[in-house]
Amino acid sequence: MTERIDQVRRELAEDLSRVSSGPDLEQVRIKFLARSGLIARLFDDMRSLPASEKPAVGKLLNTLKAEVQQSYDEKRKTLERLKQQEARWIDLTLPGRPKPRGTKHPLTQTIDEIKWIFASMGFSVVTGPEIETDYYNFEALNFPKDHPARDMQDTFFISKNVLLRTHTSPVQIRTMLRQKPPVREIMPGRVYRNEAVSARSLVTFHQIEGLYVDEGVTFSDLKGTLVAFARQFYGGDVKYKFRPTFFPFTEPSADMYISCFLCKGKGCRMCKFVGWLEILGSGMVHPHVLQNVGYDTEQYTGFAFGMGIERIASLRYGVDDLRLFYENDVRFLQQF
Amino acid sequence: MKISHNWLNDYTRIPLKPADLAERLSMIGLEVEGFEDLAKKYEKFVVGEVVEKLKHPNADKLTLCKVNVGKETLEIVCGAPNVAAGQKVAVALVGATIPHNQHDPDGSPFLLERAYIRGVESHGMICSEFELGLGDDAEGIMVLDSTARVGTPFARYLGDSDIIYDMEITANRGDWMSHIGIAREIRVVTGKQAALPNVKIRESKLSTRKHATIKILDAQKCRRYSSRVLRNVKVGPSPKWLQDRLTSVGVRPINNVVDVTNYVLMETGQPLHAFDYDTLAQHTIIVKCASEGDRFTTLDGKDRVLNSDILMICDAERPVAIAGVMGGANTEISERTTMVLLESANFDPGSIRRASKFLGLSTDASQRFERGVDIEMTAYAASRAAQLLQELTGAEVLKGVLDVYPRKAKAKTAKLRVSRTNAVLGTSLSKQQILSFLKQLNLTPIAQSGDVLTFAVPSYRYDLAEEIDLIEEVARVYGYDNVETKTRTTVDFSKPLSLTSLEDELRNYLIGAGFNELLTYSLQDQTSGHLSGGKAVEVINPVSSEASVLRTSLIPGALQVVQNNRSHGQKDLRLFEIGNVFSLMDERAKESLDGYGEEERLLVLLTGSAQPQHYDRIDRKADFLDIKGETDALLSKFCLDKYRFISYDNGSALIESALAVEINGSYAGFLGKISRSIAQGFDIDDEVYVCELRNAVVHQGWVTEKKFVALPRFPSVRRDLAFIADVEIPQEKVEAAMREIGGALLSRVTMFDLYAGDQVGAGKKSLAYALELQPLDRTLTDKEADELVGRIVRNVESKCSAKLRSL
Repeated sequence: MTERIDQVRRELAEDLSRVSSGPDLEQVRIKFLARSGLIARLFDDMRSLPASEKPAVGKLLNTLKAEVQQSYDEKRKTLERLKQQEARWIDLTLPGRPKPRGTKHPLTQTIDEIKWIFASMGFSVVTGPEIETDYYNFEALNFPKDHPARDMQDTFFISKNVLLRTHTSPVQIRTMLRQKPPVREIMPGRVYRNEAVSARSLVTFHQIEGLYVDEGVTFSDLKGTLVAFARQFYGGDVKYKFRPTFFPFTEPSADMYISCFLCKGKGCRMCKFVGWLEILGSGMVHPHVLQNVGYDTEQYTGFAFGMGIERIASLRYGVDDLRLFYENDVRFLQQF
Repeated sequence: MKISHNWLNDYTRIPLKPADLAERLSMIGLEVEGFEDLAKKYEKFVVGEVVEKLKHPNADKLTLCKVNVGKETLEIVCGAPNVAAGQKVAVALVGATIPHNQHDPDGSPFLLERAYIRGVESHGMICSEFELGLGDDAEGIMVLDSTARVGTPFARYLGDSDIIYDMEITANRGDWMSHIGIAREIRVVTGKQAALPNVKIRESKLSTRKHATIKILDAQKCRRYSSRVLRNVKVGPSPKWLQDRLTSVGVRPINNVVDVTNYVLMETGQPLHAFDYDTLAQHTIIVKCASEGDRFTTLDGKDRVLNSDILMICDAERPVAIAGVMGGANTEISERTTMVLLESANFDPGSIRRASKFLGLSTDASQRFERGVDIEMTAYAASRAAQLLQELTGAEVLKGVLDVYPRKAKAKTAKLRVSRTNAVLGTSLSKQQILSFLKQLNLTPIAQSGDVLTFAVPSYRYDLAEEIDLIEEVARVYGYDNVETKTRTTVDFSKPLSLTSLEDELRNYLIGAGFNELLTYSLQDQTSGHLSGGKAVEVINPVSSEASVLRTSLIPGALQVVQNNRSHGQKDLRLFEIGNVFSLMDERAKESLDGYGEEERLLVLLTGSAQPQHYDRIDRKADFLDIKGETDALLSKFCLDKYRFISYDNGSALIESALAVEINGSYAGFLGKISRSIAQGFDIDDEVYVCELRNAVVHQGWVTEKKFVALPRFPSVRRDLAFIADVEIPQEKVEAAMREIGGALLSRVTMFDLYAGDQVGAGKKSLAYALELQPLDRTLTDKEADELVGRIVRNVESKCSAKLRSL
């Protein structure tokens, strides 16, 4: 019996040394430890031994069983460790399963950013139609018929009286006709100009318009609001200047310039070597415009401003050909 | 507009450097876009003489000229047809910057280098007017005065060293379109008053009145007509100083009479016209409108058709000029002219503008009349021109200005309140400050009563009529920079702010879902504009046929984008655009907005691989179920369960295998596959799937106020079912049959398998579903569940001619 016990020990050591995987180990378990395994058979055989020998052999067998169990457990743990180590060796540099990446168009991003700056100052967002009448686009905005001011905006006509809006300013009229002051609105949208298409000029582009009408609104408020905007959008250290200009629907009117953010005012290609960039047109709403919407011009004053989104975006991102914005090359879109 | 520094100095003194003057003027609203120092501009240009003209050995149209430029004689290859030996010419030496490149569409400048032209070395260039930046003539070289000295720097030939400013004249300031006008404005910068020279004429005993008659038949359109008549005029070239002045501001010299009228125009802003007196029938001028359809040949030799709104200058028999626009060929000054009738008139701005637009003819005269010309300038200008002609040609000036001025304009006044000025500007200016600002613009106070100041407005200031106009002038002179930049403001909360829009939300959702946002042109060509059917809105004055129709759908623009991207190798695309589309609704209402439809839409597009490529994933093309899934996800986010897909059939050639979307019972758009033929029209040989939705309808179904529903507290029961049905039975029908019986208890139906093949037999398919039964108020017993599922099975079997398949 003792001999057989030793035999089992040797066999176990040999089998375990050959084990390299879970199924191998399972074979070992079945051979030695299962209900009909070698050890169970030894216990069975022990029953036929004389009673005097039984206690000693029983002790030996119990020791063997514990040993086998321990060896098995150790081997099992070793295998698990190996397996875990193996898991750690998976090539983590393999590419992840890619997801499509969405992008917001750079012009929309620019509009959104401007919109939110003004929203934070209490401006609401309104929009209006792109097909407009002569009245809303020109007449109500104090562009008299047969006035050269109309040449400032080459117009696409749909019929004698209907046109594609040349600016977002008709939304000012629609907004004021709809409500009484205070009016504090920002109006983004598409506009149209009948000009030859080039890297610097498009027939369709976007503007964002702003309007603030209330009691006691002054030119000084206009400057303050637009400077606050410019600092937020272009950075706190931006220098600015306002220059008189002419728009039929504002008086006094002002073009706003900021110091070129590329060369910091030293002069470069972007600012055409003058150090300044024109970023928007603005002015105090002309009393004729307020009269046209039935506002009391003695009680209310206001200011309006407008800027071209393509220009602002092209300066900001360094896009030197405006047509790129409308080609929608995905390689272009994914840069923003 | 070009303004000469030397010329300005005739009327005022400018103690400023050009750069400073430019900056200061810009800051009061007279924008100086740039200025040119002629001496610098023509640094490497000299007067040369063509000594010899030889044939170019290798080119028929070129010549090889030997040109004496003083220090040396250069060999220069020239292509101009008019070059000839003995001519004095402007020569650009190697290293010169040629102001305009004749061969460049933008006419950009270029640096002249030594070059081999058809194998022959050229050591310079003989320049045309266009290349020199002195005019539009690019046909031949500019031939200089024969008395010019060889070797003289070209800038000196042109006159004294001068600075030429390029000024941007705003549409409201017609008075700036002259040197005196600019000189007056400069007073704001220098404080120095500007003045026109006094006119001194030796008048003859003959009276103008007896030699000419002027009749204004339309006093609305012609407000004033002043005239001078001269005898014994010798027509010939102008002296160099006059030619130089005109050339420096971009006017081409013609002859002394025409040059003098142009000189006075540039000096005073008053357009003048000179008639050959002897060609005027009965020496009479009649100002009246043309008859509809009349024809008239203008000075430029063009035959023009008139309308009855166009004001004409006529003699006793026929029209001789289009008033305020251009003179006629029939009464033009010629070498034989000896008597001249000068016209110095004032016309209604609107009428001149309409005529100019109708004729497509914009001239120095019409541009000024459109903006308004000083009505008190006519007589002065006529006399000033007469004086110059007398000085230049010794002509006899007849006595007196024949001046027809039917309704003398009243002296203009305007009022301003000091308080209002400060209220608009946000300033605290005193009455004295305001008075001193406006005085610099020649606005004279004529009355003061408390807060109110009344000013006499100069007759040339057409733009000043109301208080706000004066307030603007105060602001300009005070300086915009001096107005406080207010950093505090009040925000009004009396109205709710509307900040979020459906567009923003849709955009953010789609970007998160991996789509690239597009913005495409809304003006398209005819084919694209009409692709989706329906009546398109057309532009009556398109800039090109490529942009003549407003889009009726976002699809054609997006297909163009797909094409562009595919041509760059980008074939797997997930795109969306939000934008307006347009339609012609009612031809009879085309003069109002009622005739047109305009609505915002959302387009979602998929093409190419359904997912980005990965080694561990099977590459699969996007298909209908992908676009349906994307649409489903989007709509369920915004409209919860208020939408459904229904069959779509509008007979459109654009789309095939399509579904329509209904939101709250309204048609909201469609989704489907772009027809093969349409895709091929865009060179796309792949499947493209789109969904186009009407945002207004999505907006109506947009659930913005959400209510919490308590989560179920009892366990749900899952049962799987599979049916075998005919392949033609739509899945939707099977699902509906299940839901009909399941009701609220059947909380979810998920299809998890679809099979057609040997195991189910020909013409059949197997549909497998996981059903979730979710009671809200109790636990469902097995028995209850079995009973319900049994009824569901029976209903599907009878409604869909299907059989339960054992799983």
